[in-house]
Amino acid sequence: MEPIIHIENVHKHFGRIHALRGVSLDVHKGEVVVIIGPSGSGKSTLLRCINRLEEYDAGRIVVDGIPLDSAQNISAVRREIGMVFQSFNLFAHLTAMENLTLAQRVVRKRSRGESEKIALELLEKVGIPDKAGAYPIQLSGGQQQRVAIARALAMNPKIMLFDEPTSALDPEMIKEVLDVMLALASEGMTMVVVSHEMGFARAAAKRIILIDEGQIIEEAAPEKLFASSHERTRQFLSKVLHM
Amino acid sequence: MEGQPKPRPSRSKLFYIPGAESFTRMDPWWGLVVLVVGLAVTLVTVKADPFLRILLFVRDGVAVTAFITVSAFMFTLVLGMIGGLGRLSRNWVIHGVATLYVEIVRGIPLLVQLIWWYFAFPVVIQGIGRWLNFTAMANYQSNAIFTAVTGLTICYGAYMSEIYRAGIQSIPKGQGEAARSLGMTHFQSMRHVVLPQAVRVVLPPVGNEFIALLKDSCLVSVVAVADLTRRGREFMAVHFNPIEVWTMVALLYLVMTLFLARLVSWVEKKTHFER
Repeated sequence: MEPIIHIENVHKHFGRIHALRGVSLDVHKGEVVVIIGPSGSGKSTLLRCINRLEEYDAGRIVVDGIPLDSAQNISAVRREIGMVFQSFNLFAHLTAMENLTLAQRVVRKRSRGESEKIALELLEKVGIPDKAGAYPIQLSGGQQQRVAIARALAMNPKIMLFDEPTSALDPEMIKEVLDVMLALASEGMTMVVVSHEMGFARAAAKRIILIDEGQIIEEAAPEKLFASSHERTRQFLSKVLHM
Repeated sequence: MEGQPKPRPSRSKLFYIPGAESFTRMDPWWGLVVLVVGLAVTLVTVKADPFLRILLFVRDGVAVTAFITVSAFMFTLVLGMIGGLGRLSRNWVIHGVATLYVEIVRGIPLLVQLIWWYFAFPVVIQGIGRWLNFTAMANYQSNAIFTAVTGLTICYGAYMSEIYRAGIQSIPKGQGEAARSLGMTHFQSMRHVVLPQAVRVVLPPVGNEFIALLKDSCLVSVVAVADLTRRGREFMAVHFNPIEVWTMVALLYLVMTLFLARLVSWVEKKTHFER
């Protein structure tokens, strides 16, 4: 089967730093892939290359059959990919409801009524329909992140990218976000998740990918990776699993 | 439905009184406006000669000053937006032109710029007109009010460009990234996400420029515009009573600037949001 995300030998430089050194990766429809690695390893950069928030210098990325090579194609791909950020990035001047409806109306050209109906359903789904009229500043971190997930889902994406979605959250709020992500995974959403939440990886991931210094060190199913004999993998896992 | 925005939390819970949020409460500094207006009215009634005579003489100058300031400010808002976006453009030609404009204009005193537009610019146009054998251009004459408004606009447009640029840059990059990740184009993300937030950030400095523009508008009196300052000078030239004339003129400027300051602060509170 044709992979929904095809990454082929991608290189990326930030000035003199070689952030991605020939990364290749295929993600299939319905798959949940978790990317782990030390900070500065290039895992977020790789994720951001998939919807071209980051430009890459060499290599090829094809999403759902569309190569990321022209402005038109990039827009087309971005419409199919939802992204959730570490710092939520809710539009600060809009209410939760308006955060969910803006892109639906501007990009998908839906009517106000239709987009509000979809927005309410999604706020229901992430468990905060009563916060529709609240501004981001009035929401807790966990609530903001759930609104951000709902905002991405409102565009009916085929793929969801998560860039350390729980790293900026207090411990008691991590679970409410992970629960939403788990529900999404069980519905068959294709997800690429940069996260060190090993509990989530164990429960939902089909594969875990360890990246270090811009290269894929190892990729395997969670249980296999946790039992890996690879030196670098053991070293890193001992830190995130507190073993 | 729930779409109704709830009242936003005020900065300090300690002094929170329902219904007396900062954006509904009367601004106490209106008192200063009343005080200054009161002082002017007292002078005019108690000592009608010369204060009332001065006031009646310069009142058309007040109208000219207000007209020049308001129209130049409106154009400045537009020019500043264009200049600010130009300064942030990744197209090096647009960026270069915008930067050149800002650097040149803010490096020349406003008074010199106004004099140049009024006295030198027409000569340049006439020269080009004669060279092209184009009569309309060869006979070009400066229009005082037009020169004043364009001169102020060009100068303050440069300052405003820098304010807009800083305002746009102050919005976290993640806002634009989130917008683009949802499929919005660069233009849509500017229009719906970045600029609405940037406008609120720049309101205080833009208001400040408005007031500065009002004061600097007195410089147009050197290019034959009969504004408040020039009318004051005309009155003094005849009656030679500097204390009364310039006290009255100063009070009139003060009434206008204080009123503007209140207006700006009212707009700021109306559009305030916490991030």
